[in-house]
Amino acid sequence: MDNKLKIAILLGIMCLFLSAGIAIQIKTVSNSSTTVGKTLVENELRDSVLRWKQKYENAYETLETKEDELNELRDNVSSKDNNYSGLSNRLYNYNLLLGNTEVIGKGLIITLEDGDSSIIKGFATDYIVHDGDILEIVNSLKNAGAEAISVNGQRIINNTGITCAGNVILINGEKIGAPFVIRAIGAPNSLYSGVKIPGGYLELVEKGGVQVKIEQVDKETIVIPKYEGVYKFKYASIYE
Amino acid sequence: MKGKVAMIISVGCTAFILSMVMFTQFKTVEKTDITAIETMRETELRAELANWKQKYEEIEEKIDERNEKIVEYKSELESGADQSNVLENEIKEAEGYLGYTDLKGEGIIVTLQDNENKSIDYSDLLTLVNELNSAGAEAISINDERIVSRSEITLINNTFIFVNDKKIAGPYVVKAIGDKKYLESALTIKGGYIDLLENEEKTVTYSVDDNIIVIAYDKRPSLKYAREYSESKE
Repeated sequence: MDNKLKIAILLGIMCLFLSAGIAIQIKTVSNSSTTVGKTLVENELRDSVLRWKQKYENAYETLETKEDELNELRDNVSSKDNNYSGLSNRLYNYNLLLGNTEVIGKGLIITLEDGDSSIIKGFATDYIVHDGDILEIVNSLKNAGAEAISVNGQRIINNTGITCAGNVILINGEKIGAPFVIRAIGAPNSLYSGVKIPGGYLELVEKGGVQVKIEQVDKETIVIPKYEGVYKFKYASIYE
Repeated sequence: MKGKVAMIISVGCTAFILSMVMFTQFKTVEKTDITAIETMRETELRAELANWKQKYEEIEEKIDERNEKIVEYKSELESGADQSNVLENEIKEAEGYLGYTDLKGEGIIVTLQDNENKSIDYSDLLTLVNELNSAGAEAISINDERIVSRSEITLINNTFIFVNDKKIAGPYVVKAIGDKKYLESALTIKGGYIDLLENEEKTVTYSVDDNIIVIAYDKRPSLKYAREYSESKE
């Protein structure tokens, strides 16, 4: 009798543990059961990202051929009449100025990188590159006569905005992250002294702990891509 | 007695196997618990997808635009017209974007002024222009100096503010053409530009308007250092 009771209690306790274990498990599994679905969704997403990227690249090629065709037509039209021979040339120059053309030249390359937090003891806000830092440096490059500027491949045009969104920086609405590579085409000497002036903004940023690298390029090797967006007026019209 | 031993052993074995199964199960569940990263990836992927879609749409828009122009040019060439209106229009349009023409439209006028305690800094203007641009401004001027892609806003000798190589003085009237509601809310948002300036005790006022005129840039710069890059020429 004594033995039977012991066994019964033992079995009872075991059963209790087991069922408790199973109950816990069922709960955990139902919590994470979405995992399988997630990876499925993710794979689908990955696929469509690739598909859209491919679509974009194809469209980009089409655009290039259209552009060539258009340029030929412009030349044709303007060569028909002597009065117009200069016009297509003028438009070509305008597109260069607007940033609608990929350009090459000499100038300056500035690289900004967040400081190493394990070495620097200062405030994090000082050694992290901010949107305002890039804005100031781009402004000083313009002041030094830069003819074309890009930040991480984003061409700076007249209405480019540089803002931050969380921990990334938005330029022309495109996300960019560190390291920030600012390319500028212009007279290399003027650009260099323009940003390197004592007490200038770059010095300030460097003191804060941001890693700054300046490379003066005297050969025509700096390539700056064209503006990827579309110029369009929705609210402004020509006032005559 | 023998039966009892056999029963205990069998129960023990079953319990052991069951708990083993449970342990392996717990382990698997633990492994798949990287769902945190997984969900992060998913949102990132969604953002990436939206980004490519948008880029694709932008380029499609560009292609449509070019196609229209091509058709216009072709019909013009076929008609044998002496002059090209299409080309002239294209040039006019480009001049608009370059800032070579006066523009009119709805928008916002922001006025910054020195007061007894605080004076307006060049960076206040630089930030304002950037805020307006980020909010989709199509044309901006500061004291009628048109902001173009090469316009700088700088401090000379720690006293004078220069825009487009010209000295400007307060009050600084910044005009911007664009979606007036959006421009206004971008500046007046809590913790936004106007809040920040007012916290610094600087004087800033603004008004939205349906008829803002932003006058043309008066220089015609040319490029000395930058030329078209085409891989075939290299």
